Amino acid sequence: MDYEMDIEPTGPQVTVREAEPYRVDFKLSSVDLAFANSLRRVMLAEIPTMAIDIVEVEKNSSVLPDEMLAHRLGLIPLDSKNCDQDVEYTRDCECEDHCARCSVTLSLHARCTSDEIMRVYARDLVIAGERANEWVGNPVITDPEGNGPLICKLRRGQELKMTCIAKKGIAKEHSKWAPTAAIGFEYDPHNNLRHVDYWYEEDPIKEWPVSQNAAWEHAAPADQPFDYDAQPNNFYIDVESIGNLDPDMIIQQGIIVLQRKLASAISALSGNADQNGIADEDMMGVQSPDAYEPREDGSYTAYANGGNASAWGGANATTPYGATPYGGGGYGF
Amino acid sequence: MPSSVHSQDNDQSMLDAQAQNQEHIEQDESVLEQKRIVVLPGATDTAASFQFEGEGHTLGNALRYAIMKNPEVEFCGYTIPHPSESKMNIRIQTYDSTTAVEALEKGLDTLMELCDVVTDKFTTARDTFNAEQADRMES
Repeated sequence: MDYEMDIEPTGPQVTVREAEPYRVDFKLSSVDLAFANSLRRVMLAEIPTMAIDIVEVEKNSSVLPDEMLAHRLGLIPLDSKNCDQDVEYTRDCECEDHCARCSVTLSLHARCTSDEIMRVYARDLVIAGERANEWVGNPVITDPEGNGPLICKLRRGQELKMTCIAKKGIAKEHSKWAPTAAIGFEYDPHNNLRHVDYWYEEDPIKEWPVSQNAAWEHAAPADQPFDYDAQPNNFYIDVESIGNLDPDMIIQQGIIVLQRKLASAISALSGNADQNGIADEDMMGVQSPDAYEPREDGSYTAYANGGNASAWGGANATTPYGATPYGGGGYGF
Repeated sequence: MPSSVHSQDNDQSMLDAQAQNQEHIEQDESVLEQKRIVVLPGATDTAASFQFEGEGHTLGNALRYAIMKNPEVEFCGYTIPHPSESKMNIRIQTYDSTTAVEALEKGLDTLMELCDVVTDKFTTARDTFNAEQADRMES
């Protein structure tokens, strides 16, 4: 029995297992758990999409209060294709309040004139004015009738008239900007690594059914001793889109967002690499005290101690008492 | 001062060394680009703590792993000191062959390359899958 884990593949591997218009299920191998989890987190919460953010209510004689309607409108998925590139964040835009480059205006006007109850759907939102590209801001409509989500019901004589301003944002700020409905994330379906401690009556193996992904891996033989060096290697990720972005775009965007984080950190570091800044206590920012902080008086705590100068200090066995590297600009060794 | 680090008989030369060291600490407390990344006080060349503003576990854990992969790094860990502040501290201690800042930069570069590779692999895998599906439709 050859384990896939035992073969050393050349770098990360991706296998697409299933792809549907609103879903993609793939296996990511030979990456670390930390990276796979970063990808999952970034796809959940940090991919920019469009959602209604401001609602100007001109008339609302329906049974729903204004703020409830505004909330419902916010949750309607809007097409966000290419919004990462084409649309600006309103806070970064040069315009006074909001403009076509950083927002999409949708107007909603409905009045019930018949005796039957009228339903107002997302399809009744009409794009008004300019927008950044031809897709951005279109309500996502997936049902066969082409209605989209129901916003409100109106009785005879009731009227809705409102202007909605959709903006770009991320789910970290409000979950209405989430591109995914859910992300399935699993590794080690047989629990070989014992990262999960199952509750059981008699036998966890009998009582806990294995997932579909278990067919892609082998369970560790029962007679084999526990391999405490083993690391998770295969990650089964199931990205389920809401419809505002294609599922494969969500994954690519996720990686782009992650790279952008890295790039900003790199530029922040290299921008001041040569500059030996002057100490400025005020620039440290306000922070809650934690157990890890070095002492205020700058005294030499175990934590602030250079790793090399400690008694347990790595490759060189220099103690702080022997040939000390201190003085004479001697930190370079 | 923890007694575990220093011997009982603190002699004069030890105190001298400390005074110089303190100057060094103050100098190292540099601020990088409008507080985005701050080097926390108490840093030396080979051991430093960096505070990232506006980052969390997403960057922290992956970066920690990437830095730990570097054989010149003795220790790397991250923490979010307080859950309601969007700050992430990363501690790097290296051997003498490199510096903490270099190790951090190298870790960031490694992760960047990893991202490129995964994007590449994903698009290839998706295209192969789509091509296979198309074949199955035809046959």
